[in-house]
Amino acid sequence: MPLDIDRFAHLDSPLRRWDPRFKIFSLGFFVLGVALIKAIPLGAAALVVALVLVGMAGLPLHFVVGGVQWVVLFLLPFFVIMPLSYPGEVALHVAGLPFAWEGLRLAVLIALKAIAIVLTAYTVFGSNRFDISMLALQRLKCPKIIVQMLLFTYRYVFVFLAEMQRMETAMRARGFVKKADRHTLRVIGNFVGTLLIRSFERTERIYKAMLSKGYQGEFHTLVIFKAVGMDWVKAAAVLAIVIFLFGADAAGVFKPAVQDWY
Amino acid sequence: MHISDGILSGPLLAAGFGGTAVLAAITMRRMDMEEIPKVSVITAMFFVASLIHVPIGFSSVHLILNGLAGVVLGMRAFPAIMLGIILQAILFGHGGVSVIGVNSVMMGGGGLLAYGVWQLRHYFSFAHKEVVFGALAGGTGVLVSGLILAMALLTTGEEFMATAGGVLAAHVPIVIIEAIVAGYCAGFLMRVKPHLLAGYKPAPLANDNKETLSKAS
Repeated sequence: MPLDIDRFAHLDSPLRRWDPRFKIFSLGFFVLGVALIKAIPLGAAALVVALVLVGMAGLPLHFVVGGVQWVVLFLLPFFVIMPLSYPGEVALHVAGLPFAWEGLRLAVLIALKAIAIVLTAYTVFGSNRFDISMLALQRLKCPKIIVQMLLFTYRYVFVFLAEMQRMETAMRARGFVKKADRHTLRVIGNFVGTLLIRSFERTERIYKAMLSKGYQGEFHTLVIFKAVGMDWVKAAAVLAIVIFLFGADAAGVFKPAVQDWY
Repeated sequence: MHISDGILSGPLLAAGFGGTAVLAAITMRRMDMEEIPKVSVITAMFFVASLIHVPIGFSSVHLILNGLAGVVLGMRAFPAIMLGIILQAILFGHGGVSVIGVNSVMMGGGGLLAYGVWQLRHYFSFAHKEVVFGALAGGTGVLVSGLILAMALLTTGEEFMATAGGVLAAHVPIVIIEAIVAGYCAGFLMRVKPHLLAGYKPAPLANDNKETLSKAS
């Protein structure tokens, strides 16, 4: 499974041209707003907004679907569990179990919101190079040490995955087969330990090399952020959408899928 | 184990972010630049661990390793796990952006308590105690996370009662597997590179070779 979120960041689009600071801030606000929605029509509206964002970003379909499929897998059980376990009014019985429409409505709401949020996150971080997104985070007053660690980790993940695959190949070559027994768990424990030691020693070498080249806790970059009028317009449009969604939800224009949530 | 976007209520999401901010501030106090690589290694490990599958019966589960993070990093396990969760949310929508706070408290809190259990080993002395306490810590990490997750679901509303019960039941095999793997891993690290373990105290040396050995290390 390819993990590099920014492998299509070179595609030109209105979202790519949007100043990353404004993009992360306003769409972050959008994500939090969506998380608080309680009515299904507004959840659907949020999903439409997210789909429009994906369309504007021009990201390939298989890339976006690949990101959403895990969320969908996680959400599927809710469509079964929620209707069958929702307390209160029972509409009908399915195979002897009480089935409540309210529960199904709640499951639909959860799915709409979750997919909308994941799509938004994909467009935000998929439409810029990862280091530029992190630089924008730092400009938004995210602590420097956190940004540094995110950058290190992002780099290490790919290195470790490669290391892990090499070690797995070596284990298979020696005839190891995973089974549900104590021996397998012991081998996996040692595998994790070896991976830890190898990774740690590798990063120590990298770190020393970086220090000798003058690293002082900051990556320098030639990227300069410069906000133009359009950046403000786009951010204002997103904030207006958030206020509209949130206002309509709070005003009770639509029937909430959850009562007594707060 | 993660909780997804769109389930929890607003106050709970806010409480998650608040709790994460407080715990991060406490556990990242006096953090040195030189620690960044080590913490990042564990973050990447935590991230990669979710791709290591262990067969059970006809199914399989993936490792979580938040307890092991506590065994290796001590207090710094919290920032490491928090960053892992942030990256998972950004990179493959595992969990979600709005629940970064709740998930960090859940997984990172498990890691911190695992560290507490791990440190208890100093009060005991028997052969292979690292294996035993590594296993206890590994199990604690997942168990505490499962309990926090179930509690978060219950406080959201009673319609999540069945889900919370299911979540707890699903955690039982994971706790056992994590405990065994973490135990063997801690024992392995103790034999091969004990300095990697949190709170490692080298055994006191006999007087005659103390000087030569301390020079060698």
